[in-house]
Amino acid sequence: MKNPYLPLLMRTEKVVVETDDRDIKTFSLSFVKKEDEGNFNYIPGQFAELSFFGKGEAPFGMASSPTQLGCLEFTVSKIGVVTTALHNMEAGEIVGLRGPLGNGYPLEALKGKNIVMIGGGFGFSTLRALTNFVLDEANRSRFGDISVIYGARRPGLLLYKDDFEKWGKRADLHLYLTVDSGDEEWVGRVGLVPQIIKEVAPSSENAYALVCGPPAMIKFTLPVIKELGFPPEKTLLSLEMKMKCGVGMCGRCNIGSKYVCRDGPVFSYAEILDLVSDEY
Amino acid sequence: MKAKIIKKKDIASLLDSLIKEYEVFAPAKRDGLVLFERISSAAESSLDYINSKISPKQLLFPQTETLFSYSSTRDSTEIKAPSGEEKPQLIFGIRPCDARSLTLLDKVFDGECKDPYYVSRRANTVVVSIGCARPQTTCFCTSVGGGPFSTEGSDLLLIDVGDEYIVQIVSDKGERLLKERGFEDAGEDKVALTAIVIKKAEASIGPGVEADGLKEKLDKRFDDPIWQKLTEKCIGCGVCTYLCPTCHCFDIVDEAVGLDGLRIRTWDSCQFAMFTLQASGLNPRPTVKERFRQRIMHKFSYMVDDHDQIGCVGCGRCITECPVNLDIRQVLNNLLQLEGVK
Amino acid sequence: MSELTNKIRELVRSFLKQKKVELVIGFEQGTMPMRSTPCFVRKEEEVDRLMWDSFCENNLATYLVKRRERVAIVAKGCDVRAAVELIKEKQILREQVVIIGIPCQGMVDRKKVQAELGGKEILEVEENDGGLIIKGDDFKEVLNRDEFLYPSCKTCIHRNPVIYDVLVGDAVIELSADSYIDVEKFEAQSTEERWEYLSKEFGDCIRCYACRNACPLCYCQECFVDCSRPQWIGKTTDVSDTAIFHIMRAFHLAGRCVECGACERACPMEVDIRKLNRKLSKDIKDLFDYQAGISLEQVTPLATFKPDDNEEFILNP
Repeated sequence: MKNPYLPLLMRTEKVVVETDDRDIKTFSLSFVKKEDEGNFNYIPGQFAELSFFGKGEAPFGMASSPTQLGCLEFTVSKIGVVTTALHNMEAGEIVGLRGPLGNGYPLEALKGKNIVMIGGGFGFSTLRALTNFVLDEANRSRFGDISVIYGARRPGLLLYKDDFEKWGKRADLHLYLTVDSGDEEWVGRVGLVPQIIKEVAPSSENAYALVCGPPAMIKFTLPVIKELGFPPEKTLLSLEMKMKCGVGMCGRCNIGSKYVCRDGPVFSYAEILDLVSDEY
Repeated sequence: MKAKIIKKKDIASLLDSLIKEYEVFAPAKRDGLVLFERISSAAESSLDYINSKISPKQLLFPQTETLFSYSSTRDSTEIKAPSGEEKPQLIFGIRPCDARSLTLLDKVFDGECKDPYYVSRRANTVVVSIGCARPQTTCFCTSVGGGPFSTEGSDLLLIDVGDEYIVQIVSDKGERLLKERGFEDAGEDKVALTAIVIKKAEASIGPGVEADGLKEKLDKRFDDPIWQKLTEKCIGCGVCTYLCPTCHCFDIVDEAVGLDGLRIRTWDSCQFAMFTLQASGLNPRPTVKERFRQRIMHKFSYMVDDHDQIGCVGCGRCITECPVNLDIRQVLNNLLQLEGVK
Repeated sequence: MSELTNKIRELVRSFLKQKKVELVIGFEQGTMPMRSTPCFVRKEEEVDRLMWDSFCENNLATYLVKRRERVAIVAKGCDVRAAVELIKEKQILREQVVIIGIPCQGMVDRKKVQAELGGKEILEVEENDGGLIIKGDDFKEVLNRDEFLYPSCKTCIHRNPVIYDVLVGDAVIELSADSYIDVEKFEAQSTEERWEYLSKEFGDCIRCYACRNACPLCYCQECFVDCSRPQWIGKTTDVSDTAIFHIMRAFHLAGRCVECGACERACPMEVDIRKLNRKLSKDIKDLFDYQAGISLEQVTPLATFKPDDNEEFILNP
């Protein structure tokens, strides 16, 4: 019987500081035991519980595509006990990993569809994984038009600058980056994400909208998407809740009868409307 | 009914003999409380009791449990899970409500995803229950699908008919326990006696809760302002959840000394203010109202969705032990009586 | 007692009619014998729920913390003492609270009554002239109420409300003084004996925090047990962690605990929680000549500093 509480051991290979305030870092982890890598099969949208031994665990969406072999990437915002301990790590240190957990994005349903990925701030990790997955040579033809609309509060807080640079050069992806407020060097768009969506007006025909971001952004984004004609069944959200076991047993992360760790974290907006009122 | 007869005066010697083969847990008096304790002789047990203060779920789902130990150096870490060898365990004298709660915990911990700690312990446990001839006014097992002589979750059920117990054999495990111990088979006349006892006990259980259509009504009433009124006196402690046989929420914590340590699973309560508090400071259940509602909805609606079983066995501990007498029966009945609820 | 009930209802009715308060906190009949339960009344039609008897054991002052509205509270001696401390600590303004003071004859220890009846189920309890008439399926017994009071009621020397807006009921005779004999006996024991007792008690604790939540003076938004940075104590029932919880909680209450006993009444495991609080109350009395909850004018000794404060415990611990 598999023990769902035992973590795999991972080595920290690389640490990239994403933001100018140094509050968000992306860690590249490799499997200490090579055979673990072969057994670790995941799809974008799934998450893992990362352990800092002695401090505890916390859930993080997989920020790298499964097509990227050799390592797993996680983007961590420094906010509490575990994330602070992770942030203080250097290359070579060992952490624990339990996963893959959760349901991931519905790849079957997305096949042949146009995908509009909308992310804000820190909440873009799993969409980045999905984008790189879809762009991979082996997969690209299976999906339709890809649009990415991503914004941060200011230029220094934009994540994944390398990825955006690469994506911006591709003909088979439409990239729209924005910031709430620019600086002297910023020459790109300025405006809140919901506003940019309105301007870009991605077509909802044969399309899914995938939204990930802070609650405030989601609140104002959903009506815009609805207006553009995306039905709730084709609007997907990735939810976050405080988690512990990650496998639907500790009773903590539920919204109604659904556990975000087990039945999510990806839910369609239709499912969420069905679940519950405005309160938890 | 397949059953044996055990005279009450023979129980002590049976227990003493079982203690040689199993770790036996039975109700025992400690500091004025009745708790399920490990007994080393039959004399330590106290079978003439109503029910234990804490439910015996702790024998399968302990309050504190080490998941694994770890030992680190700067660039390596070793993890060691506990050996997993469980000595055969016998729970003797558990009540049918508490035994029934194990069937629900089985669905939680032994479902699609398995908790090996619980599963191996459960496989190594024999459950011998004693039916309730004298249900209390706070019992409502019959309202939620159970009964004072329910066999769900038990391997053997003892039915008190005076000088002796008629022991109903519920499972193979139970049958094996009694094998070759020289107990007489219970004939039809003895079995007929049990029917009288059972009927009398069932009839004596109070109205409890109207479970018919309860889930649908609760789902409709999620946003009703009455929740604020019903939960106003709750002080937000964890008594109801910790004593409850079906509550299973837990926390996972690391306890370290230098570079070595343990990862421990420990009970937690959805009633505690910080249960759903996120590191960002956002708390989806910020007040007592949301948290108490979560408990009720979880037990009477969400568990029905997930496991096809009401997450309450009607043991009544939350009623008798709540420091402010917030009565779950009253809460549910108030919710059911709302106008406009069909 | 029923006379008190009627008087309380009359008063509350008039308060609500005159819109003197938006909320009245009192007691109503519970769902079991010997249980009265906190009751929140806002409308005149709810007034007849209110009642008073020997089972009004909760400390209602805990519901006063951080209220915005004007509230009346049906408060016995210890509830009033707790309210005094809460007002001093600015958890509610004096002007906001209308104290309906009830001189208290002590509350009956229902667990002690149950033990006396040997675990037979009690179906009905009536009070009659200092007696408790206990009825079950096949028995009826009469007990002397005064022999079954809670331990905290037996040492209470302010049964009469120390402050009030209205007094309902006749004043009761106070015990002369609290001799703290129980504490002295405990102090006289050796360290090993005391630790043996305490660790046995704490070993029963299941960390449900009923004691903390029932206590009117435990109102911290983030209790030290929940703090993660730094983490002060572990979350398991390891006896050293549990001991620290109780010891630190007692210290946080030193000079503030009014010895109402709500903590030990709330405890499902019957842990002797008040032992430490009693010891600290005695120390506060000896060191600062102060008792919590008696006067709105007296400042809590550990919340202030005077140059002539006793420093013995620092220099000669």
